[in-house]
This record gives sequence, structure tokens and C-alpha cells, in this order.
Amino acid sequence: MGLGALLAAAQLASRAPAALAQTDSQLPTVSKECGEIAAAATPLPHGAAALRDRKQLRILAIGASSASMLGGSRDTMPLLEQILERSIKGLDVEVINRGVSGELAAAAAERLKIEVALNHPDVILWQVGTNDAFAQVPVEDFETTVKDMLQWLRKHNVDAILIGLHYMKQLATHEHYQAIRASLRRIVAAEGVLRIGRYESSEILARTLREEGHPEPSTFGLNEGGYNCMAQYLARAIAVGLFAKPPAQPTP
Amino acid sequence: MPRQANAVDFWRGFALVSIFVNHIPGIWFERLTHRNFSISDSAELFVFLAGWSLGLLASSRSAATNSALLVFRLGGRAVTIYAAQILISSIALALLASAAYAFDNPLILEWHNAAAIFQDPALTHIGLVLLSHHLGYFDILPLYVVLMLTAPAIAMLDRFARPALLPLSFALYFAALMVPFTARTWPVEGQWFFNPFTWQTMFVLGFVLSRDIGVGAIVRRHIDGIRIAALPLVAVTALMVVWNWFPDPTALPEPKLLILNGKSFLTPIRLLQFLALIAVFSAMYGVFAPYVPWLTEFLSSLGRNSLNVFCVASVLSLLGQIIRYRYAGSFIVDALVVFVGISLLWVTATVSEWRERQKSQV
Repeated sequence: MGLGALLAAAQLASRAPAALAQTDSQLPTVSKECGEIAAAATPLPHGAAALRDRKQLRILAIGASSASMLGGSRDTMPLLEQILERSIKGLDVEVINRGVSGELAAAAAERLKIEVALNHPDVILWQVGTNDAFAQVPVEDFETTVKDMLQWLRKHNVDAILIGLHYMKQLATHEHYQAIRASLRRIVAAEGVLRIGRYESSEILARTLREEGHPEPSTFGLNEGGYNCMAQYLARAIAVGLFAKPPAQPTP
Repeated sequence: MPRQANAVDFWRGFALVSIFVNHIPGIWFERLTHRNFSISDSAELFVFLAGWSLGLLASSRSAATNSALLVFRLGGRAVTIYAAQILISSIALALLASAAYAFDNPLILEWHNAAAIFQDPALTHIGLVLLSHHLGYFDILPLYVVLMLTAPAIAMLDRFARPALLPLSFALYFAALMVPFTARTWPVEGQWFFNPFTWQTMFVLGFVLSRDIGVGAIVRRHIDGIRIAALPLVAVTALMVVWNWFPDPTALPEPKLLILNGKSFLTPIRLLQFLALIAVFSAMYGVFAPYVPWLTEFLSSLGRNSLNVFCVASVLSLLGQIIRYRYAGSFIVDALVVFVGISLLWVTATVSEWRERQKSQV
């Protein structure tokens, strides 16, 4: 990320809490054990419009293991929904889970168009990349699929949030896994969408644990605690995105 | 003696091989299966032929004379398929766990909706047994179980109120598309991949068209004309798939599911295209079978033992995915996976028929 982009992200992140406070709402917190998440503050203009016009936000989760992004126990509404409704006063959140485990990006993209047509979501949470990396999908094909889909979503007034690949120490040297991860970063930079970089966050957390002499968990984030952290990251990123003003367009 | 090679067994064997390949996402040979040229794929063929087999069973002489016996046999078949689903799901979970340990990669435990089993085993095991929790790519047998549970009702309707069978099936189909509604999964919130309320129509159509009476008889009488009418539809839809000429689903009028192309709901375009496809391709068997007897016999033997072969194919597909992950799927690896996999399907069929022969001799 260039210096300009970093400055813009910092500016947006600082503006969002102020805008939230004006609505008697607060920025969702992320519990200490989850650590910080790598996610630039990216505006969600269509989500913001839904909040302004309907006081309702419809979020559709799709991708490999969508349940893992939503958090919470079986008997309650998804944690993501709970946090957002608690944090943003008067907001009614509806989370629709349409994840199909094991699905590649191409199949998910095909289905996503139908789900958008049927459910009219404001925001899409797309967990993407892990299955494509394991299935050895060529990087160019993956990149084209995801880019095309993001452009389609933009054209149809839907905000997208990408949830990146999992962190696993064992996969740090897996060539294709890292290639897909790099590709996702390129896509995000090109399309200007929000990405929850859980790989980077978990990597930092692992390094901190190592430095403090604690054992590194072997199942990073692959448990209820990890899913709840993901829901907290997402809630925070969405809240910031809903209240962040888009950066001013440079005058010609 | 196993029955002679025939078109139904041949196409069922063809569907089984396609399912095996398609269930290894990313494999090179995936691009050769007919779904690359057709809106419908092997799932439609599999369910249609399951209905066809039911129709043949319902019209057999013993079943025709004894309704109670027919209901008993169909119920028994549903239990067998249910047991098969539980068995292959258990093997799949063990395979995933073994791979996660062997390759020191707990992410593998998350593949194919397995995460819930390992993280919330108490509730999810109940879901597995109730068929409300499905592993990814292991989701067609739950549909088959539900269809077989309804099979006695289908057979009895056919026997005592034949004109009502197809209208009732289509009424449920269109209601599920227009409301819309489907079966829910539990404990992981979601939907069945194959909506049983719409896919039942494919099963019933297989049943009805297998018969020499009613709609089946009408279709047989006019099959040449139907084929001529179906050919352009097959050709145009092939072009639609190859060039991705599908309308933007958001631009379609309501109810959108009546127009768009969706596999989960078996939307009308898929159903129509499938019927056109089988109308055209059902003529092919008689043309090429004499020239490739080895292929005919091979695929027919798979089709004759479809449940056993399907179960082994499902497990081998998962194994194929693990092998591709471990050995970074190249063309050579993919070719080996497909060659060894299909060979093992043949072994499964051969052993199944050998067992049947042994049983009949006792």
C-alpha cells in the first residue's frame, strides 16, 4: 500500500468514530485476545445508504465456510448481527448465510449473482481463496473470477468485503497458497474493496506469542473463539465502513 | 448373471464417472465433462435415472400384483441408501481427520462443512443422523433418501390416481419456486444444496417417462418429433453455457426462479434443457454401442451397481482432492487420480456382481 493510500485509510478510520458518535452509537470493540486485524478503513457506500434510508442492513455471507465468519452459538443470532445491532443505535441487521463449504471462487461467483437477485443484500461477505489454493486453481483464473465478480457487485450497488485466507505456519511455504494470497491482495488494491486480512493478523499474533514464550496454537482461529474474533473484526470493519466518508475525489 | 448392457445402465454409469470427476474441483479432466456444454449436469441424470429405476420396479410383475410388497421394497431401499450416506459421511470425516494429522494442516478439518462436526460434535452428529447436516459433495444421497421415502406414495398414486401424479409433482415444484421455499440445514444454519421440493419433479419425471403407459407412452409415440424439436434447444443452450450468455438475474422479473438458471432449485430452464438433452442423447446409445462394446459394457457395469459405485466414487473424489492438495495437482497427478479412481470404480462394480453371483448360488 502506498503512502497516499495509507494516509487516506488513516483519515477515514479517524473520521468514522466521530460520525458514529453523532448517531449515539459506538465503534464495536475487538476483544484483546483477538488481537488487531489488518483491514484498511474502506467506505461501504451502499451499506451506508441502507442504514440512512431504511435503518436496515442486509448482509449476505458466501464462500467456503461462511458460518465461521458470523460467530456466536447455535441458539442465538449470529454474533456479527448482535454486535452491529448493539453498536449502531436503531440498526436492524439481517444476516443471510449462503455459504457452501468447499466451493471454489468460480462456483461461488456464479451462485452469488443468483443470491443477489433473490435476497437484495447491501453487503456481501465473501470468504474466498482457501479452497482455490488447495484445489490448485490457476492464479490468473482465480484473479479474473474474483475481479469480475467484484465489478459486477459494484455495478449492482452492493458493497463487498473479502475475507482472506487462513494463517497456518505450515502453509507459509506452500507456494500456491501464498500465490493465491498475493493475488487476493492485488485484487483488493485494484478494486478498492475491504479485505479482512486474518492471515496477517494471526501471523502477528503468532509472532507475539512466540516472543512472549507462549506456545503457538496449532489450530489458529479454527475454533469457536476464532470464529467469534472474526465476527468482531467484521463488525468493526463494517461499522467503520458505514460511517466512513468516501475520500474526496481529486479535482481535475 | 448380471443383466445385459443397456441404455439406462450405460447412462447411469456415465453419470457416475462424471460425478466422480466433477467432485474433484480444479482437476484438469473437469473441463471434459458434459456440464461444460450443458446447463444441466450429471446430478440431473442421476436423479432422473433413479426415478426411472423406480418406474421399472413399480411396473414389474411381482410389484404389480402386490402393493404391500412394493411399499416394503421401496422402504427397504430408502433404508439402504440412508445407511450408505451415514457410512460414506463417516469415512469422509475419517479421511479429512487423517489428512489433517498427516499433513499437519488443521484447515483440512474445515473442508466441506466438516468443521461443525469437529467443533460441535454433539449437535452436529444428531444433524448427520437426521440428514440435516451434509458434507459438501456428499449432499445428493440425502435427497435420494427423501425421494425414496416418498417413493411408496409415488407408486401408490401411480397405481390408484395416475392422472394426479404429475400435476401434483409440478404443483409442488412451482410452489417451491414461486414462494420460494426449501429444506433447512441444522445445526449449521443454511439450505439443502438440492431442494427436495423441486428436485422431486426430476425423480417423478424419470418414473413417469419409464412407463409404457400414460405420459411415457405418449412420449414414446412422438419421440422422433420431440427429438427434432429438442435439438435446437440443446444446441442453443450449449452455446449459452460456452459463451456464458445468461441474462443478469437481477434484471429478471419476479418470480425470478422461474427464469434464472439455478441448480439448487432445479429451475425450469435446467429441467427443460435436461429433458431436451435426454431426448436427443437417448437416440445415441443404439448408434454407438455396437462400435464400442467395451465402453458400453464398462459403463453399464458401473450403472448396474450404482449405489455401491456412487459411494466408492464419493470417497475416492475426496481422496483425489487430498492427493491433489498434497502433490500440487499437475496434469500427471490429475491423470493418475482419474485413471486409478475409475479403475477402482470398475473393481467395485465387478466385486459387487461377484458377490451377487455368490449369493444367488447359495
